[in-house]
Amino acid sequence: MIKHLFKLIWNKKKQNFLLITEMFISFLVIFAVFTSLVYYYRNYKKPMGFSYDNVWVINYQNAKKFQSTDSVTQYYATLTAMLKSMPQIKALSFASGNVPFTSSMNTTGLSYKGVSYSPVNYYQTGDGYRDAFSMNLLEGRWFNQQDVVSTYRPVVINASLKEQLFGNGSAVGQLISDNSNSSIKKIKIIGVVQDMKDKGDYLPSGMALYNRIDTGAMRWLGQLIIKVSPDADAAFESKLYKTVANYMKDASVEIQHFSKKRISTNKSTLVPITIFCIVAAFLIINVSLGIFGVLWYNINRRRAEIGLRRAVGATGNSVSAQLIAESLILATLSVIIGTFFAVQFPLLNVFNLQAGIYITAMLLAIVFIYLLVLLCSLYPGRQAAAIYPAVALHEE
Amino acid sequence: MDNQLNHSQLITDNSQLTTHKMIQLKNIEKVYRTDTIETLALSSINLDIAKGEFLSIMGPSGCGKSTLLNIMGLLDAPSKGDIRISDQKTDHLSDKQLAQFRNKKLGFIFQSYHLINDLQVLDNVELPLLYRDTTAKERRQLATEALAKVGLSNRIKHFPTQLSGGQRQRVAIARAIVGRPEIILADEPTGNLDSAMGNEIMDILINLNRNEGTTIVMVTHDENMAHKTHRLVRLFDGSQVQ
Amino acid sequence: MLKNYFKIAIAVLRRRKFFTFISLFGISLTLTVLMVLTAFIEKLTNPVYPGDKNNRSLYITRLTYTSKKGWINSSGSSFYFLTHYAGSLKTPVKMAIVSSNSSSNAYVNNKKVVIDIRYTNAHLWDVANYQFIEGKPYTIDQINRADRVAVISERTRNEYFGEGATVVGKFIEADNINYRITGVIKNVPELEEVFYANMYLPYTVSKKDYRDKGFQGDYSAVLLAPSEQLLEKMRAEYEQMTARIPLPDKAFDTLHSNADTYFETYSRPFFGKADNNGYVRFIVFISLFVLLFMLLPTVNLVNVNITRIMERSSEIGVRKAFGASSKTLVYQFIIENIILTILGGIIGIILTVIILQVINRSGLIADLDLTVNPIVLLYSLLACLFFGLLSGVYPAWRMSRLNVVTALKAQ
Repeated sequence: MIKHLFKLIWNKKKQNFLLITEMFISFLVIFAVFTSLVYYYRNYKKPMGFSYDNVWVINYQNAKKFQSTDSVTQYYATLTAMLKSMPQIKALSFASGNVPFTSSMNTTGLSYKGVSYSPVNYYQTGDGYRDAFSMNLLEGRWFNQQDVVSTYRPVVINASLKEQLFGNGSAVGQLISDNSNSSIKKIKIIGVVQDMKDKGDYLPSGMALYNRIDTGAMRWLGQLIIKVSPDADAAFESKLYKTVANYMKDASVEIQHFSKKRISTNKSTLVPITIFCIVAAFLIINVSLGIFGVLWYNINRRRAEIGLRRAVGATGNSVSAQLIAESLILATLSVIIGTFFAVQFPLLNVFNLQAGIYITAMLLAIVFIYLLVLLCSLYPGRQAAAIYPAVALHEE
Repeated sequence: MDNQLNHSQLITDNSQLTTHKMIQLKNIEKVYRTDTIETLALSSINLDIAKGEFLSIMGPSGCGKSTLLNIMGLLDAPSKGDIRISDQKTDHLSDKQLAQFRNKKLGFIFQSYHLINDLQVLDNVELPLLYRDTTAKERRQLATEALAKVGLSNRIKHFPTQLSGGQRQRVAIARAIVGRPEIILADEPTGNLDSAMGNEIMDILINLNRNEGTTIVMVTHDENMAHKTHRLVRLFDGSQVQ
Repeated sequence: MLKNYFKIAIAVLRRRKFFTFISLFGISLTLTVLMVLTAFIEKLTNPVYPGDKNNRSLYITRLTYTSKKGWINSSGSSFYFLTHYAGSLKTPVKMAIVSSNSSSNAYVNNKKVVIDIRYTNAHLWDVANYQFIEGKPYTIDQINRADRVAVISERTRNEYFGEGATVVGKFIEADNINYRITGVIKNVPELEEVFYANMYLPYTVSKKDYRDKGFQGDYSAVLLAPSEQLLEKMRAEYEQMTARIPLPDKAFDTLHSNADTYFETYSRPFFGKADNNGYVRFIVFISLFVLLFMLLPTVNLVNVNITRIMERSSEIGVRKAFGASSKTLVYQFIIENIILTILGGIIGIILTVIILQVINRSGLIADLDLTVNPIVLLYSLLACLFFGLLSGVYPAWRMSRLNVVTALKAQ
């Protein structure tokens, strides 16, 4: 029977060529949609790795001129003390511009045992950073006062980076080197934290390296992160703002809430993907209507053939099954061609995504195409089953 | 009665007519080839048709009569042989020239009418004029005249599907004559009609031939119809037998 | 002839309503997507408010140092760099200097108001056509005296003082400093890289020292040429001038500072580099995107068209028998298809107007007012024709090659 169907398809190759092309392109479109959906979904399923509720950031651009590093240190120590005296503030830390939910990025490259790892997100953090974000420590410890005097630059890495560097082994105490500086600096791992999805719910954390802010960096830092108690309201925020702005007379100051920043960051991820999905959905509806129409028309054209088949003993169901099988064979041909192209993505490692994402997407796309074609041929197939042999043959 | 009289009159004039040959077929052969089989549809057909003649072609199904008509109408090319229409060779014409030639010289009538159902009667009749240099006004006038000749002046705004079979065939005749072609090729024009309607159509064709001097070649199954024409040619298995 | 084609096209459309629906659905939505995209790009590249003199303006937004080792250091320019170097050009008649946005908060009745602040010079008010709802811009004298004066946007006025308040002469507090309001302007879309802000202040009151002699800073400039014809001359003059600037930092070996058209300020960061304005790449990228996007609807339409044409084989046979050449028939079917696409285009335009209204109202991008203007319409018409041709040529060619005899037999 299958051979018979192939013959039918081959004899109408010109007509079927366009249908196959259409299904093939649809397959690629659906593959692209599923790849991004699977990618975002996988990221979404991972834990945030930190808490952003009641965490605020004070952005300041300080134009104040300092005489020496000591005076910088003194200046910010006074501010810190002032803020810490407020009962609503539970934890605070200065930080580099790439705080969670901002578009700001800072990356570096690392090398360990002759292998390079990049890009690695590079953060400057204070001792209170972990407490402010309630980050989960998996191994070792976070920075504290005793790190001022260490021989190596102490760093904390995240779980993704640890897995890349050491697999299941222990990371604490290991020495690695930072490639981004001209003179290679030895750095020492003192702790490992859980991945922190700081680019939003739908994007991966990537590899991360947390550094302790040194006194020299205080000149150019512009972010102060504070964790406040749940009862900190707008009145408190206004008071806090006055305090900070009054103290930093040469700065413009702004307070933002991470819970709000998260919403707008997620929005900027979701809006493009939503638009993409809407456009793809329209394309697919368009195509399915087209395929439906063409199949329907073809069946009308083949009334005589169908009538003949009925006359020589085919049942209505077997005729309709045959027509559906024909469309599914066309779908199979398109899926084979489509898979050939889709497989290139994991093979050539395009876009640097995990192969698993592509494979899941490919399987979903295959199922989707079959369902689509099945759906489009079901009704025309049923129609064909209703053709009476006498009527069909008479028409000819 | 009237027809019979005319018939004999014309036959007496036959010697004179043969000098003005309208269509000349010489050694026409048509072979249909597929990958495996060759089918000989026509072989060594020699036929001269005079100007003003009304010729009918008869023969059993599949004898090649429609093929012969299509070849005369330049719709199909012979595998071998020569066709001359009003002393003009036709084998070297391009697609565009062929189209122009058909447009000016030939009119077609088909068994299943082949009217364009999406167009009104008048637009259907105007169709051949679309492919020449005419204004809309001229087209309208000529088409109205042609429809008057076939007695359908009151149906010009109808769609073909709203007409009976006989009326449809009359529209088809109006379409065939609107461009005043010298030759009309009719492929079983009465084949889909009952005898009363068939006779009506036949009368129109005979009048056309008599009054306008149009050369008509008609393929038919119907002996009665064939006998109303000047001359009858019989085909059998692709060959001329009479 | 055309009338006849039109009649036939309409009749065919009315006959197979399901196929007509498929075709029009595909065409109209394809064109809707393209038109919405065009409206976006048109708005991005050719704004009317407040940059109404963009055809004779050049923007200096980035200052980039590069070294052969691959190091790149990119930022805005300093006030000193812009006044000292860009200010030395002969061609420009005006030069607006504007700082980048910095956000500040104000608290009104325990409600937070976020204010985006820019520091500007006085020429800004001449280079861009800000519409004042109330009051007027601050003057050169006020700037020179470092008066604490401000121009605010309608939105900030509404949030800070309440809807429709009269505020000129009143004070607004930002960063714990009170500024006297001299004017209120109509809101500017946030997409405006250089012109958008909620509060404009004289550069002399900036907390950073504008006299700093470093080249990098956070200012941008807009150069205004006396006429459109002199734009390229102005650009050339700027290029010659920047080539002669001595490098202050030995770690880098090239300084890039470009005077770009408004469009290039978008194409450069996305598609170009310090030494390439990315214009060509942008065009190529957009064209590729449009082609890829149109591929599927086109194949679909071709498929449906072929199906429809095969249905009309009798008509094709008759037309050929009565003297239509293949070429004439190809024209007929292409014209029919273009009629169809234009019909779809009209539906598309209606859909686009609706969608743009929805986008405008949703506040997805604040203060962005997308419209279907003549330029968008022109591009859409071109897209219609292109789409109609693309999807009509192959079926028409297939159809014209039909043999007359088989075409007539088919029915």
